[in-house]
Amino acid sequence: MTYLKPLPDISVLNRPFWDGLRQHEFRVPKCADCGDYGWIPYPACRSCQSENQEWTPVSGDAVVWSFSVVHRGPGAFNDEVPYIVVLAKLAEEPRSLIVTGNLIGVDPSEVSIGMPLRIVYEEVPEEDITLYRFTPAA
Amino acid sequence: MAFPQRQAAIVGVYTTAQGKLPERTSFSLQLEAIKGAVDDAGLTLADIDGLLPMTLSDHLAGTTAHQFWAEQLGERPLSLVETGGASGQLAKAAAAISAGLTEVAVLFYGKAGQLVGPRGTAAPTDRAPRVPEWSYMQHGAYMTTWYALWAQRYMHEFGVTSADLAEVAVFTRHHAVLNPDSVMGRKGEITVEDVLASRYICEPLHLLDCSIDNDGGYAVVIASADVARNCRHEPVWVLGGAEAYYTDFYGTINDPWFPEGGKSVRKATDRAFGLAGITRDDVDVAGMYDCFTITTIRNLEEMGFCKLGEGADYVKEGHCRLGGKMPTNTDGGLLSNSHAGDPSGMHCIEVVRQLRGACGARQVPDARIGVSLQQGWAVHGMGSVLVMARD
Repeated sequence: MTYLKPLPDISVLNRPFWDGLRQHEFRVPKCADCGDYGWIPYPACRSCQSENQEWTPVSGDAVVWSFSVVHRGPGAFNDEVPYIVVLAKLAEEPRSLIVTGNLIGVDPSEVSIGMPLRIVYEEVPEEDITLYRFTPAA
Repeated sequence: MAFPQRQAAIVGVYTTAQGKLPERTSFSLQLEAIKGAVDDAGLTLADIDGLLPMTLSDHLAGTTAHQFWAEQLGERPLSLVETGGASGQLAKAAAAISAGLTEVAVLFYGKAGQLVGPRGTAAPTDRAPRVPEWSYMQHGAYMTTWYALWAQRYMHEFGVTSADLAEVAVFTRHHAVLNPDSVMGRKGEITVEDVLASRYICEPLHLLDCSIDNDGGYAVVIASADVARNCRHEPVWVLGGAEAYYTDFYGTINDPWFPEGGKSVRKATDRAFGLAGITRDDVDVAGMYDCFTITTIRNLEEMGFCKLGEGADYVKEGHCRLGGKMPTNTDGGLLSNSHAGDPSGMHCIEVVRQLRGACGARQVPDARIGVSLQQGWAVHGMGSVLVMARD
């Protein structure tokens, strides 16, 4: 079945992130000077403004920072309500990394703030792209 | 001689019809609003020499609204162009007037036919639409979702409930009922139970926790004191104003979300109040960007009218309701008066009307100092504040 939900318009600058997903790696720019990670990716480190950043795979461990069970969705998402949008706080520190995504594999009534998560990957049929999702770690 | 230091005043305000306006275009609402606000000031279009558009141009793709409107309003060279939220644009216009860069500027917005909420996005049938690569649209999120995420985390950290949030919708609707021009006032008062019984849009936000999604336009004319003294109404003086930004468009909002020292809205408020030389207790009436119930609660905290975590108590104590110590969103706000596209100027307009004493059944007695707040991008990623007063 054709995937009809919005897909990213990938830029040259950020292609390593999307290439990483294809290899089931979630890569985040890590500053080679101060060591901080940054999310969402920016052209220079937000802590020290160095352009010397490297795409570095993260552990994939995260916790629920916040979540919303969506009952009215835009476009093709409305066929899937209720679904869960999550802000997942990745384990990497010190600069916090809060990543927006969908939480799958759990009943909406079971979700709570602080719940351990991990990143999983989903190939989009008929499209040359892999997406990330979050799912409960246990 | 350096820049002069001249007082600026709001001299004209205008709102078009608000609601479902299928026969109107965004352009015609903007033009009507500009003409209406200029007429309210007792000025003519030829007096305008600054533009504060709240929108991009839809005339030629990729062009700025400033150039389109400069030509549309008579092909005259204009002296000031600005961008930003309404309170911030008016603050910068007041500073520009003070410095002698312009005499009369008009802030305007109008939107018809396009919905902001999820109903405005149709499902494609053949191929997945492309969106910017970090856009939350990939995850089925939209503005309501983003504010729901803010509300969920806030409720978790501070022990606030859905019933607490609902109190905001209740007092704001009460004000709308007293405003004959409001979209929702004719539907009557609502209770906390009504809010909680309305359907979920994005948990924990119910339908009645959300602003409405309608068409409409508005404009505000700001002028130098010399011009203002000869206008139709008593001037509403700008005492101070400021803006602050820290985050990008809904990309992420990293921790911390609720620092004691506040974020953008606190910074803009402190600066605006400092310039105006007022304290929190001096404010007689407030207009605060209230796209969702959570927003009002956080606005009250972040602006320093109460402590962090005490916004819901402040509302429950009745301070925001007409008759309270700082009536807030007396027109019914974005929740129950009107939310047309970018409605951040509506809060300035209602405060101006209060300071003019023109609010009829919803008038705050003896209102002398008023404040408007524009905020955006949730978790107070941006904010701007304007402090206004009558003589």
